[in-house]
Amino acid sequence: MCASVKYNIRGPALIPRMKTKHRIYYITLFSIVLLGLIATGMFQFWPHSIESSSDWSVQKRSIRDVPVVRLPADSPVPERGDLSCRMHTCFDVYRCGFNPKNKIKVYIYSLKKYVDDAGVPVSSTISQEYNELLTAVADSDYYTEDIARACLFIPSIDLLNQNALRVKETAQALAQLSRWDRGTNHLLFNMLPGGPPDYNTALDVPRDRALLAGGGFSTWTYRQGYDVSIPVYSPLSAEVDLPEKGPGPRRYFLLSSQMALHPEYREELAALQARHGEAALVLDKCTNLSEGIPAARKRCHKHQVFDYPQVLQEATFCVVLRGARLGQAVLSDVLRAGCIPVIIADSYILPFSEVLDWKRASVAVPEEKMSDVYSILQSIPQRQIEEMQRQARWFWEAYFQSIKAIALATLQIINDRIYPYAAISYEDWNDPPSVKWGSVSNPLFLPLIPPQSQGFTAIVLTYDRVESLFRVITEVSKVPSLSKLLVVWNNQNKNPPEDSLWPKIRVPLKVVRTAENKLSNRFFPYDEIETEAVLAIDDDIIMLTSDELQFGYEVWREFPDRLVGYPGRLHLWDHEMSKWKYESEWTNEVSMVLTGAAFYHKYFNYLYTYKMPGDIKNWVDAHMNCEDIAMNFLVANVTGKAVIKVTPRKKFKCPECTAIDGLSLDQTHMVERSECINKFASVFGTMPLKVVEHRADPVLYKDDFPEKLKSFPNIGSL
Amino acid sequence: MQSWRRKSLWLALLASWILVLLGLFPLLRLAVPTSPRAGAPRGWPRWLDAELLQSFAKPGELLEDGPRPPQALRGGSCNWGACFDTSKCRGGGLKVFVYPAAGPVSETRRRILASVEGSRYHTLSAAEACLLLLLSPDTSTGECDPVPPQWDGGRNHLVLSLHPAPCPRTFQLGQAMVAEASPTVDTFRPGFDVALPLLPEAHPLRGGAPGQLRQHSPRPGVALLALAEDGGRWHVAGTDFSACPWDGRCEQDRGPKQTHPGATLPNATFCLIPGRSPDVLHFLQALQAGCIPVLLSPRWELPFSEVIDWTKAAIVADERLPLQVLTALQEMPLTRVLALRQQTQFLWDAYFSSVEKVVHTTLEIIQDRIFGPSAHPSLLWNRPPGAILALPTFSPSPSDFPFYHLQQGSRPLGRFSALIWGGAPGQPPLKLIQAVAGSQHCAQILVLWSSEKPPPTRWPKTAVPLTVIDGHRKVSDRFFPYSAISTDAILSLDAHSSLSTSEVDFAFVVWQSFPERMVGFLTWSHFWDEARGGWGYTAKRTNEFSMVLTSAAFYHRYYHTLFTHSLPKALRTLADEAPTCVDVLMNFLVASVTKLPPIKVPYGMWHQEARPPPLEPGGPGLRQEPQPAAQNCINQMAAGFGHMPLVSSRLRLDPVLFKDPVSVLRKKYRSLEKP
Repeated sequence: MCASVKYNIRGPALIPRMKTKHRIYYITLFSIVLLGLIATGMFQFWPHSIESSSDWSVQKRSIRDVPVVRLPADSPVPERGDLSCRMHTCFDVYRCGFNPKNKIKVYIYSLKKYVDDAGVPVSSTISQEYNELLTAVADSDYYTEDIARACLFIPSIDLLNQNALRVKETAQALAQLSRWDRGTNHLLFNMLPGGPPDYNTALDVPRDRALLAGGGFSTWTYRQGYDVSIPVYSPLSAEVDLPEKGPGPRRYFLLSSQMALHPEYREELAALQARHGEAALVLDKCTNLSEGIPAARKRCHKHQVFDYPQVLQEATFCVVLRGARLGQAVLSDVLRAGCIPVIIADSYILPFSEVLDWKRASVAVPEEKMSDVYSILQSIPQRQIEEMQRQARWFWEAYFQSIKAIALATLQIINDRIYPYAAISYEDWNDPPSVKWGSVSNPLFLPLIPPQSQGFTAIVLTYDRVESLFRVITEVSKVPSLSKLLVVWNNQNKNPPEDSLWPKIRVPLKVVRTAENKLSNRFFPYDEIETEAVLAIDDDIIMLTSDELQFGYEVWREFPDRLVGYPGRLHLWDHEMSKWKYESEWTNEVSMVLTGAAFYHKYFNYLYTYKMPGDIKNWVDAHMNCEDIAMNFLVANVTGKAVIKVTPRKKFKCPECTAIDGLSLDQTHMVERSECINKFASVFGTMPLKVVEHRADPVLYKDDFPEKLKSFPNIGSL
Repeated sequence: MQSWRRKSLWLALLASWILVLLGLFPLLRLAVPTSPRAGAPRGWPRWLDAELLQSFAKPGELLEDGPRPPQALRGGSCNWGACFDTSKCRGGGLKVFVYPAAGPVSETRRRILASVEGSRYHTLSAAEACLLLLLSPDTSTGECDPVPPQWDGGRNHLVLSLHPAPCPRTFQLGQAMVAEASPTVDTFRPGFDVALPLLPEAHPLRGGAPGQLRQHSPRPGVALLALAEDGGRWHVAGTDFSACPWDGRCEQDRGPKQTHPGATLPNATFCLIPGRSPDVLHFLQALQAGCIPVLLSPRWELPFSEVIDWTKAAIVADERLPLQVLTALQEMPLTRVLALRQQTQFLWDAYFSSVEKVVHTTLEIIQDRIFGPSAHPSLLWNRPPGAILALPTFSPSPSDFPFYHLQQGSRPLGRFSALIWGGAPGQPPLKLIQAVAGSQHCAQILVLWSSEKPPPTRWPKTAVPLTVIDGHRKVSDRFFPYSAISTDAILSLDAHSSLSTSEVDFAFVVWQSFPERMVGFLTWSHFWDEARGGWGYTAKRTNEFSMVLTSAAFYHRYYHTLFTHSLPKALRTLADEAPTCVDVLMNFLVASVTKLPPIKVPYGMWHQEARPPPLEPGGPGLRQEPQPAAQNCINQMAAGFGHMPLVSSRLRLDPVLFKDPVSVLRKKYRSLEKP
């Protein structure tokens, strides 16, 4: 574009001198160029381009066309798994390196078909689930195409079901992977380990140092902090459409739906049913089903036929007994039905047990105690049962629902081990969204009364009212616990007064000049603030006495996580207008304190400056109003606590002022402030402010007691 | 004419240039993507025949994997289900028997014994016990104990050693659990063994030193890192650091070492602790100092890892990535740093600061295993006040406790039960009952009658139900968790208390904002008496207070459960013997849980003038001024708790317009302001 403009500018000087024949020559030339271009354009968009464009998106190939790799009979076999492996011994973290996003990079080997010397395939090339799993990994943020940058490698050799593969040859196939290196940083997925007769609880394929994401680990095979225990996926979950059923009492108290159970267990269950009648239901395989009905979807009790998995929704507790394998696919179905799994499988490592708190969603009963299972369950109160039902369903939704969910949870666990300082918290893993929404985690939760000796830093925001400012400084400097005074000079057009003109006070006084006249400057976390307590004070608050300020600091020490201030305000719900309203009348309630005179923890400066939700900060600066309301919202939202209004003081500016204190009293001001409350409530998505009916006074305030013996005698009454 | 031609020429020129550009774009687009993408698959291919793929398991395979007999116990490997017999604990829950020591005992061992004997689980009969505790001998005695009499292959035994096995075990451990200090991860059996912290020799028996954290956020300018060195010392690195602190090359590379040889507690934000086992002592020091432990590939199991979520208080990092760890620590968001720091202090204070806490935590973990589904939820272990002070027997739901309303997004119930302790002859406290029943928040009135004489037969008619409970004639009865109490809040009263409805209403509204604290009207304050070298307390009006009298106070009903079931019996007996002591004890209990002062609300002075004189000593009556003899009680309590938990407050919460010179019509709690 630039070039053409230039040409145009030079043009007018050239043209008039052109001769007529030249002109024709030029026109012809341009026509030829033009035609050529049209031709090129048409070539571009002609049908052949459809073929070439398919190259840009995902490759479409057939599985039958994957390259075949022949494994010589004597090709190397990896060592057996090393039981002492831990992340810091067997995992090569150097490959993961520094990563600003704290995400591991995962590479997937391309799909190959492995055959032995005789040309017999080693395993089925890939199962539907493993294909889904690899697709999910490849579509995630973890995936990288660059093998050199990868930190974790996933072979495309399908190991999900040990019965579907030849153990030794599969191991040989693993060993010849290009970056195998004794299996370091290789992640193998397996859901059905072991095989008859002894059913090992971990994959039998020799795998050396590779990490195993396995279904059905026992305490003996699971390498704590190295392997990942995953669920056995239930393909039934994907097939059946099962509408969610909320928690609450259900028809059967205890249900057993597994078909292949050891006779000893079945006897125990039968005894249970005999004892508890209707409340317990033990189902078994149907013997006389007519043709065409899939046996997997039906269960029978005597001659009664039940639909599976629908019947699980009729029960409060569902037994998940060990079979030959510890990991059972029924666990997934049970969770989905919102039925609380009763795990009877000693030494079984539950899926994702490294991060999931299974106590909240299941009951574990030792195999020996199977006969007591009913009484154990009966001791659980109904409220806890409903909580567990909700939790079970949430686990299924978040971590069991699909192959993708399983794959991503596995990678997240490994990622959290490698970048522990960015790890996901217990609450993030375990709390259902409804709990996360309602709960508040106070950032200053430790009950602590900071030492008085620390003192506080007063921050005065000023523009140009020097006289009033100096008066405030003089007053505040009389407070014994003041440790530093910071003046935020918000006027860019005028220099602050010379050093010699400032009042002489006993504590350091610093003047900070700001780059822009913004209200949020008062809440900036200046390096000069060395104390935890901050007193924000306007340059016209001259009425507060030294006793009142010192007492305010003492109150802050007892409530360091709250806004502790002098001017109290209230928000009200206006039923006529159906919105919030700002109230500055002297009422019996308080929900905000204005930061024209308030103590708070300096951490809230950091939150205000860097973590304020939405566009509130810019909005406040643009409107030059409501920074104090925004601070009240912010603190109430993160701490879940109310403000503390200190002392009866209601007038702050000058003795002559008779009416209510405030920036201005006119109607527009109140309307603006109400607007702020409505705006902030919509940004926060809730009304975090808490209304209280109390204020803090000195213990002996207005008591019949000699004034001179009171610690804070000089407390103004209005 | 000329101008028209010129214009057309220019138009043609312009058009051709636009076309050139338009034509170039597709050409460029074609040129860029084709060359590198040729043949390389992007992502995992979308197979054309993906629909035809088989499932990983055949339909029947997931449902019938061939039954197998219940597994026989494998030699040497134990887990909770197989090796612990919970049926022995069915009657009275966890009962612990300790084998008496043979021969002289070391100081540490004596402390452990004292802690177990002082716990509510202790029993003197081995037959009754469901857990038998065997103290592993320590280095100072040198001898190893013979196999104890009730050994039974180690079943239901816990072998406890506060120091990593100093003596080769002369007998096989069999099915016994091992509670060991800092066990290596290779031998530790999760869910069966218990990992203990490595305690220093001089660890106090109870109470213990408080955490060193004095403020929530790190002081500006404080060192970012401290590195654990041999000999229990710390090397404090400046803010400008490199990887050197732990690869030992500092001496050559850097200037003078900034060591503080005298300081045993590190003063830094993060404490780097190498994974070698001799450094585990540093771990507790860092916790106490509020210095966030950064464990570099620890080879040992973190203490109480079964229940404590260490990711909230410490960082387990890989020792092979020093630069990456340092960068991550430097760039860690302030919010996370604050949370980690505070959690170290909470954990130190709740589980590690004394031998007693360590032993009780161990027993609590085993009790949780026995309880199964009714054990402490994780929240109770990992949030203040901690699992030892949050009894799971009280309720399975955290929102029933006074401590977790914020995390649960819940609120305490909006009503209260008045619990009046009476027993004096004569008329029932008519005025008091009417004043309390007049409160809109009152749900019920319970009269706890603890006198030999039968209670009056006639009680005033009230709008709320009034129930008389027969007490056991002991002072500590008033804090028994009566099942009749149906609300979260209790208003504890004496028959001689005098309150107005306004006072009750306002105090209850305040309590709803502070459900974990006591909200009271009359206060005492404690002080250190230099002359007597002990604690004292006074009912004189002063500028601060630290206790509120239970003769008129709101608090959460959970404190009744805690008072009755968690306090050592000796302390409760003490309170029964000296009745004024019971107030001190209750205030000690609440303060040791909350670490905060109680709350005072306004109380009309006219009440005090209208009071009758105190009645029979020992019975319910005025306990306004502590008698001199009772002064000793506070010292005995302090000894029993191991420290002074009381915290002073200098404020009173008043109604917002209290005694303001504004129209009384504006005020909600008018009658509070009677002269």
